[in-house]
Amino acid sequence: MDTKSRILLIDDEEVVRDSCEQILAGGPYEIASASDGVAGLRLVEEFHQNLIFVDLKMPGISGFEVLEKISAMDPTIVMVVITGFATVSSAVDAMKRGAYDFLPKPFTPEEFRLITRRGLEKRRLTLETIALRREKEMLREHFAHIVSHELKAPLSAIQQNLFALEFELTRDLTPAQKEKFDRTKVRMDELLQMINSWLKVISADIGKLKEGFKQVSVKGEISHAIETVQPIAARKDVEIVTTIDEDLSPILGDGLSLTEVFVNLLGNAIKYSRDGGRITVTAKAEGGEDVISFKDEGIGISPDELPHIFEGFYRGKGGQEAASGHGIGLAVSRQIVEAHTGTIQVESEPGKGSTFSVRLPKLKLGEPV
Amino acid sequence: MTKRLLMIDDDPDFVAGIKSILDSAGEFEVDVAYNPKDGLKALQTREYDLLLLDIMMGRGAEGVMIARKLRKDPKLREMPVLIITGMREQIAFLFPGEPIHPRFVEVDELVEKPVEPKLLLEKVKSLIKTAEARKVNP
Repeated sequence: MDTKSRILLIDDEEVVRDSCEQILAGGPYEIASASDGVAGLRLVEEFHQNLIFVDLKMPGISGFEVLEKISAMDPTIVMVVITGFATVSSAVDAMKRGAYDFLPKPFTPEEFRLITRRGLEKRRLTLETIALRREKEMLREHFAHIVSHELKAPLSAIQQNLFALEFELTRDLTPAQKEKFDRTKVRMDELLQMINSWLKVISADIGKLKEGFKQVSVKGEISHAIETVQPIAARKDVEIVTTIDEDLSPILGDGLSLTEVFVNLLGNAIKYSRDGGRITVTAKAEGGEDVISFKDEGIGISPDELPHIFEGFYRGKGGQEAASGHGIGLAVSRQIVEAHTGTIQVESEPGKGSTFSVRLPKLKLGEPV
Repeated sequence: MTKRLLMIDDDPDFVAGIKSILDSAGEFEVDVAYNPKDGLKALQTREYDLLLLDIMMGRGAEGVMIARKLRKDPKLREMPVLIITGMREQIAFLFPGEPIHPRFVEVDELVEKPVEPKLLLEKVKSLIKTAEARKVNP
């Protein structure tokens, strides 16, 4: 690859094109030029330019149109507008159509060199940002694989040895000992399952989750989730009250992931409940949806934290502190719910408690299961 | 008659869990290799009735490489292979067509780590049985 910066000039005035070429001559540039928009657009496709100068006023298609078309082809291309009719409004217009900067005619060689350098710098930064973003995405994917190996391998080894131990002792175990084995195995299994579901989400392949969708009973998944968190609730003496409509309809989804969402919401509700508190789980059919809500009477969430709590792993600026208490659980929950084309919402009043509501669209009759 | 098994897996703790289940069944003699190289060497030096094979070892999916080598080896081609992997989901891409059936290396079965003792013994026994029937009646 040559190290010269490639610059494309689109201007109908020969004298402008020539003088621009002369100004840059001798520098590390390779220059191509076109005398109208159509020829310019054709060149854009093959020249692999780092920077484009576009005259606004040209016969045939206008500079504005050229800007728009180039932007549509590749929004990362850096374009500078040249014009003899420099007005604020035309400058704003050009910027709106994707121009990076504006050079009024007539200009001095120094002005042209300066704007060329700035445009090229902008291009370099744009490419760098793109590369960084790509790298970040790859890191996230790699992270998923690292997590999977580093977390799953030790857990599998522990569980396998537990299996072995129980297998060898099986005849000598008292029922109470057997129960301890069962308890440990179940919790370990849930942990492994959870890592698996997290992985699905982290690797951003919600599509995969959808591949396994089948008919799921919301009621069953709620009971399963409550069973799972019951021991934690008992430790804080938190009571879980349920009101589940009998006419709740089955939905199309992934049972394990939905259980995980409910376990997550219940887990948070318990965590932020006071000792001896109460959690109310309500599930009802409403319109075309099953609405499941989890209401606690705990410490609540402050209004400025509220918008950030679902950000979790992907949290934005300033969200870090606000969301830290909730970890990545809510973010994962939201992604799972959204994969089911549902929604998850929260209402909260500090000091009084929070209500998380999950809405899942019903399985329509005749829909493939 | 005691069956001879080889397990290739780079996690000694996991191996210990599997081996002790197989040992206490009283029907198997289990050799272990903790890396692909030792595993291939063992396969060349002794005769085994079944191979228990991990996929993710060393720098990547080295278990796949072992399975491929076996199927090209006229002496070892018929040996049943049970893949025991923690990465069933992640290595699904290696199994074109169906997500689970490991057709690409034509191994016999695939189970996910950790594996329940009952399932493990069931798979091991049935794979050996099928392989023996194949030998008698090819």
